[in-house]
Amino acid sequence: MALVVDSLTKQFGAVRALDGVSFTVQPGEVFGFLGANGAGKTTTMRIILDILHADAGSATWNGRPTHDLPRRTWGYLPEERGLYPRMQVLEQLVFFASLYGVPASGAADLARSWLRRFRIEDTQRRRAEELSKGNQQKVQLIAAILHDPEVLLLDEPFIGLDPVNVAIIKEALLDLRDRGKTIVFSTHQMEMVEELCQSIVIIDRGRVVLGGGLREVKRSTGRRVVRIGVSGDPALGWLAGLDGMRVTRQGQDYTELEVGVGRDPESILTAALARGEHIIRFEIADPSIEQIFVERVGRPPSEDHRLAPEPISAAPAEPTGA
Amino acid sequence: MRATIRNVLIVARREYLWRGRTRTFILATLVLMVAGLGVAAAPVIVRYVSERGGPTTVGVHLGDSHPSIDVPRALDGVLNAGSDHNADGTIRRQVSLKVVADLEAARIDVDGGRLSALLALSRGTDGELGFTLYAKGQAFEKTSTMIRQAATSIAIQDRLTRTGVPPIDQAKLFAPVSFTFRPPVDKPGTPEGPSTSEELASGYVMSFALQLFIFMAIMLYGQWVAMSVAEEKSSRVMELVLGAASPFQLLTGKVIGVGALGLTQYVLVFIPAALGMVLQDRIASLVLGVDSTSAGLPAGLSFGLLVAFGIFFVLGFALYAVLYAGAASLVSRQEDVNQIVGPLTLLSVAGYMVSSYASTGLIDISGPLLTILSFIPFLAPYLMLSRIGLGTVTPLEVLLAVAILAASIPVALWLAARVYSAGVLLYGQKPGLRTMLRAMRGA
Repeated sequence: MALVVDSLTKQFGAVRALDGVSFTVQPGEVFGFLGANGAGKTTTMRIILDILHADAGSATWNGRPTHDLPRRTWGYLPEERGLYPRMQVLEQLVFFASLYGVPASGAADLARSWLRRFRIEDTQRRRAEELSKGNQQKVQLIAAILHDPEVLLLDEPFIGLDPVNVAIIKEALLDLRDRGKTIVFSTHQMEMVEELCQSIVIIDRGRVVLGGGLREVKRSTGRRVVRIGVSGDPALGWLAGLDGMRVTRQGQDYTELEVGVGRDPESILTAALARGEHIIRFEIADPSIEQIFVERVGRPPSEDHRLAPEPISAAPAEPTGA
Repeated sequence: MRATIRNVLIVARREYLWRGRTRTFILATLVLMVAGLGVAAAPVIVRYVSERGGPTTVGVHLGDSHPSIDVPRALDGVLNAGSDHNADGTIRRQVSLKVVADLEAARIDVDGGRLSALLALSRGTDGELGFTLYAKGQAFEKTSTMIRQAATSIAIQDRLTRTGVPPIDQAKLFAPVSFTFRPPVDKPGTPEGPSTSEELASGYVMSFALQLFIFMAIMLYGQWVAMSVAEEKSSRVMELVLGAASPFQLLTGKVIGVGALGLTQYVLVFIPAALGMVLQDRIASLVLGVDSTSAGLPAGLSFGLLVAFGIFFVLGFALYAVLYAGAASLVSRQEDVNQIVGPLTLLSVAGYMVSSYASTGLIDISGPLLTILSFIPFLAPYLMLSRIGLGTVTPLEVLLAVAILAASIPVALWLAARVYSAGVLLYGQKPGLRTMLRAMRGA
């Protein structure tokens, strides 16, 4: 009873997009699918959806190959965003729902309630091209979930949204999870992963780098993080001299250190007290997913997004596998 | 299976309704309807315009020629030979004749447009009649030819009178002769073809006209299918759609939806035009007040030809449209659509051209080359119609060609769906054969 991706391999010409990707998503959980652009996230999702065929390996949901399952099992928000530009919002939502077998009358009511929930009720009679990008994205998300699928595959659902809309979408996803839906989403925003996911997998260049429950993944490094703040001395220069510790972030209000394997985080507290510092903050925590990602992949997850966006016509030649 | 049919119909319905509601479609249909009606009513309009200014008046100046017969009456007989009759049975003259006494004044009238032409007679020193026609403008040419004919027979009658032949014998002399045309008798065993050259000509014209409709449908509506695919791809809605429906469902739905819309446009344009054509005489009698003659199907349009046209129209369009859609899925921008469907368009043009050469006799229509070509699915809609129109084909051959064409459509669908499922996920490709092959391997 799970979504099992087993040893998926896919080759595009000279590029090996997937090289034995395996992971398991438990039913009813929110699963973070992490990786830099081009890591193979979109290709994996397309194979699960039977839009692409794997060269080797399999994807099953509750023991059945995903390509044998009806399409309404899945709710897919593609990475490439798009709606019919000149079609009215409600009309397209009903169109998509009817392709999944939802009767038109029920689909319209359902679509309206989702539009209301996403606070874009006034857009039903407007053409998609008249909507802001954020609102278009919300309409696309509705198109992906209107038929009440068992599994949601969302490619970057939060990208480009303002904090208010992020909160609305987040709440909706958690609500769907509480109703028993399984949610797999890819993202570059690691704080979303920390907030939402029970499990994650990180892939890089078509290979799984790390995976499992969020807590286990964080513990698996064997390192801990200490955040310490003292009054009067924001620099805390003496910390750099401590054996087995590494300063990872130097801030105004606190300094963050990575505690080496086998080192006692509390020794920092002892050292600070011995120096007579007035401690206003002391925290022992697991490393962040962002830190783990950088460590294992070698670059930050959002690096590609700092680059200028490519024009549509000059998009990569191979299928845009992320 | 049920879901497949459902989705095909949903996609077809969206394509049909959405495209049918666009301003471009409505405007184009209205313009075409008006144009179709215009073409159908053209003969009536031309007659109405030409008769509105009243009948053409031709002046006759006899001078001192003293012809032995009634010249105005003879001219009247020739010039108004094919005229309609008014409701009361009198002749509706297209040309009226007026005897003038003053030659100079009449010539001024011709220059001023009060007379269409002036025919002046004179008697030469050798006793022969001489004719001079004064006219203005070229539009008078047809009438002037007829006047020349009339003048010739008037001169001959005048000569006969002068040699002493009585007028009654002259009437017999000029009576029309019995003339029948008999084409060679059909050899037994050959297909039943048109029996007269007139039938042959009209059968060819009609089959050619029907081919033009097929050609236009493939060019126009096939292009729509291709555009529709490219639109979805360039707006990136394709990926959302692909999550919901398979490439096969999308492709089939599009071809059916756009095809049905094209057919709707055809019907909307052709029904008024056909009605206008069939009711032409009735309209003419209403507008012009002339006696109406019976109306019927245009010459050369047989029931069999119409049925064959319907089948080849639907199947031919489906074959090309499916392949157009597959090809269009390879490009990312609508501007590139024409380039990628180019080879297919060429194939369609080639079929049409070969058919037109064959119909006009440049290529032997009953030769082995044309016979073989007419079974190729891409060419059959054109060449088979030509062969049917010219009567050089057996019903069995037509059935075979239809079967091959029908069988080629699932193959085309399979091929196109494969290209499509690979192609729609490719962006920024240079359209071409290599791209297509590479895309198909990857899917």
